[in-house]
Amino acid sequence: MTALLRVEKLTRRFGGLVAVKDVSFELAAGEITGILGPNGAGKTTLFNLLTGFIAMDIGTAAFDGHRLNGRSPHAIVNLGLARTFQLCRPFRGMSVLENVSVGCLAPRVRYSEMVERRARGIIEQVGLGAKADLLVDTLPYGDLRRLEIARALATKPKLLLLDEPFAGLGTNEIEPLSALIRRLHAEEGLTILIIEHKLREFMQLVRRVIAMDFGEIIAIGSPAEIVRHPRVVEAYIGRTEARFGAA
Amino acid sequence: MRWAGKDALGAAGVLALLALIPAVTHSDYLIGILTVSLIFGIWAASWDFMSGLTGRENFGHALFIGAGAYTAALLNSKLDLSPWWCLPAGALTAVGFSLIIGFPTLRLRGPYFALAMLAAATIMQRLMRIFWEFTGGEEGIPGLDPLFESHVGTYYFCLFALTVTTAVLLALARSSWGTILRAIRGDEAACQAAGINVTFYKIAALMISAAFAGAGGVLYAHYQEAVTPDVFAVALSITIIIMVYVGGMGSIYGPVAGGIILALLPELLRGLGEYRLWVYSVILMLILFFAPGGLVAPLWRRLTAVAR
Amino acid sequence: MFNILVYGAVTSAVYAMLAVGFTLIFGVARILNLSHGAFYGLGAYAAYVLTAKLHWPLLPAAVFSVLFVAAFGALVERFLVRPLRASALAVLMITLAVALLFEQGMFILFGSEARNVPAFSTATWTYSGLDISGQRLLTLAAGFVVLGVLYIFIQRTRLGSAILAISQDPEGAQYMGIPANRMYSLVMALSAGIAATAGVLTAPFLTVQPTMDLLPMVKAFAIVIVGGLGSIPGSILAALLLGYSETIVAYTISPAWTEIVSLIAVLLTLILRPAGLLGTRAAF
Repeated sequence: MTALLRVEKLTRRFGGLVAVKDVSFELAAGEITGILGPNGAGKTTLFNLLTGFIAMDIGTAAFDGHRLNGRSPHAIVNLGLARTFQLCRPFRGMSVLENVSVGCLAPRVRYSEMVERRARGIIEQVGLGAKADLLVDTLPYGDLRRLEIARALATKPKLLLLDEPFAGLGTNEIEPLSALIRRLHAEEGLTILIIEHKLREFMQLVRRVIAMDFGEIIAIGSPAEIVRHPRVVEAYIGRTEARFGAA
Repeated sequence: MRWAGKDALGAAGVLALLALIPAVTHSDYLIGILTVSLIFGIWAASWDFMSGLTGRENFGHALFIGAGAYTAALLNSKLDLSPWWCLPAGALTAVGFSLIIGFPTLRLRGPYFALAMLAAATIMQRLMRIFWEFTGGEEGIPGLDPLFESHVGTYYFCLFALTVTTAVLLALARSSWGTILRAIRGDEAACQAAGINVTFYKIAALMISAAFAGAGGVLYAHYQEAVTPDVFAVALSITIIIMVYVGGMGSIYGPVAGGIILALLPELLRGLGEYRLWVYSVILMLILFFAPGGLVAPLWRRLTAVAR
Repeated sequence: MFNILVYGAVTSAVYAMLAVGFTLIFGVARILNLSHGAFYGLGAYAAYVLTAKLHWPLLPAAVFSVLFVAAFGALVERFLVRPLRASALAVLMITLAVALLFEQGMFILFGSEARNVPAFSTATWTYSGLDISGQRLLTLAAGFVVLGVLYIFIQRTRLGSAILAISQDPEGAQYMGIPANRMYSLVMALSAGIAATAGVLTAPFLTVQPTMDLLPMVKAFAIVIVGGLGSIPGSILAALLLGYSETIVAYTISPAWTEIVSLIAVLLTLILRPAGLLGTRAAF
């Protein structure tokens, strides 16, 4: 098994605070993996480090044979590592089609296919086909979450990092989105790494879980193993029983 | 983009109208103010390409105009270079300035970029006064060669330059470039996450904007047959911004129309020439309150929508 | 050396008066007020009109000028800025329009030539070969008094703590029942009044011209950026820095270069200190 993403001893401090501490893990091509941890565990910081939005000072990461250290965000995307944001960040004042087209315009895909046709295909794929020509400002929140994924897909990623894709969604919206992610994994062979809080959906979606607390990896294993792991129970479930119960 | 046919028709109509004016009037005065208004159209369009699309208001567009104008003046008066060589030289100098100022300041947002540009243009204006032995100080550099012997020739050349400027910038703005620049306006980080090299596009947009502004500056210098430090003035930058506001930001053709109309307005309303800035500021206030999207571009969109 | 010390202090006091108002209205109401220089200029012109045209005695003229500009500031906030508050860009443009209208208005009414405003003190002292006019010393003293009173007002009065509360936590302040809109008008009046005070005091020894508003505004902006937007102590420190560096340049190189100093200072700070200015970079 060759690793698509290899992270070694990644550490990041902000002032005195250690946001990510000595994190090492590997992702194999075709894997669907989750990152679990309470708020402030360093999950989003880890994403920001891997995607070049925060500089990697200590530790290294390699993706598909390329070192990620020192690369700018767009260069990392063009290697085939795309991300979504925890808060939806659509380009306001532009249509759904235009939003997704921006992702198609990155150098790697620009000349290969007709931009509009590709963008429409992706919009169809995430289930926004009927809304392609609407202004994003008019979309409900659930559709914006799909748009985030569509824009990332437009860059033709090999690995997709999803930062809390279910955040802010109602229960009846979660299942279809979860099905979409499963489909992307199964049909497109996309490698996916997801940060999520909503435990139940998450546990059915991923095969392997990386549990984090205070910036450190505290356990890696199957969802079934993780929910029973004593350190996870102590760090996450025990401390935030209310949230677990709500999920 | 669906109305490209009607847009072309409208453009052809306006162009024909402007082209016919010298046939109707022989007033050098009228041709003169029309020539200046065409140059203002070039400046407004070039401002809009960078600032209107990416949302970074440039309060110092005069930096590029002045760079072009002074380059032309110095080359023409000191080295006796033909105005036709001054045109590319002025545009190139402006592009050089855009690189020097663009790299450090384009990561700044909103008012900070605006202020940095304003400061840069004002610094140049003061430097023109301080190095008066070289630049002629407050009086500037007089006695430049005109582009054409006849005013009508200059007028037609400026009309040609404006047409080229508008066509190029409009084509760029409606291509994938425009999509990317508008996405940068929306959210830079999301743009990077979509694989776009944001720095490259911002710098490139500023360079293109500067090139056309600088070329406009050269035209202005040779039309006036003189330059003064006022080509770097804040008042000029602000005037251009107001023209863009009137035209409708981000549409390119709107600001062109806004530039022409506003440049003509104080001259046509006799006696208002002296109070031009006063008229502009009142118009700016009215636009901000009653037509935040501008006048020309929204009006044209409504017209073409009705004519469907 | 002594000249630099004294003149630098006077210049710094003027800049500090300009900058605290500018930073106050930004810190409290998030208004980047490009008409701040116009308030300064309007103060000077009001004093000119009252003394030279209407022959008022100087002191009531000065007081009335400051109050007039403060009221004008409140009106600008209420009727021009407030309706457009939703868009930071629109606020920037409307305050710019006010500045332009000031410049053009003064030009139309009084022409472009410089006007004179009488000085409070015509005395001059000579100390170790240096002539110091009483007006400059008065300006320096007034700077201290204005900043001191402002400090006490904000730290010790109920109104002041309400203003402070809004600047630190606008939402929380609203829950506590502080009427934000009225506070914005008040702070705008305060900020305009302080700028006008500087205008009235410096009018006798600086030129009163329609274009007098641009550079003070740019300098106030520069100082506020160097000192950190919204921070009053930072503004005062930066005012001292800029005031003294300008004076040193004026004496060692040439007065022609002083204006460039502040402009280059703006540019350099904007370029070299982006961390505090970058905005949303760290927001995800």
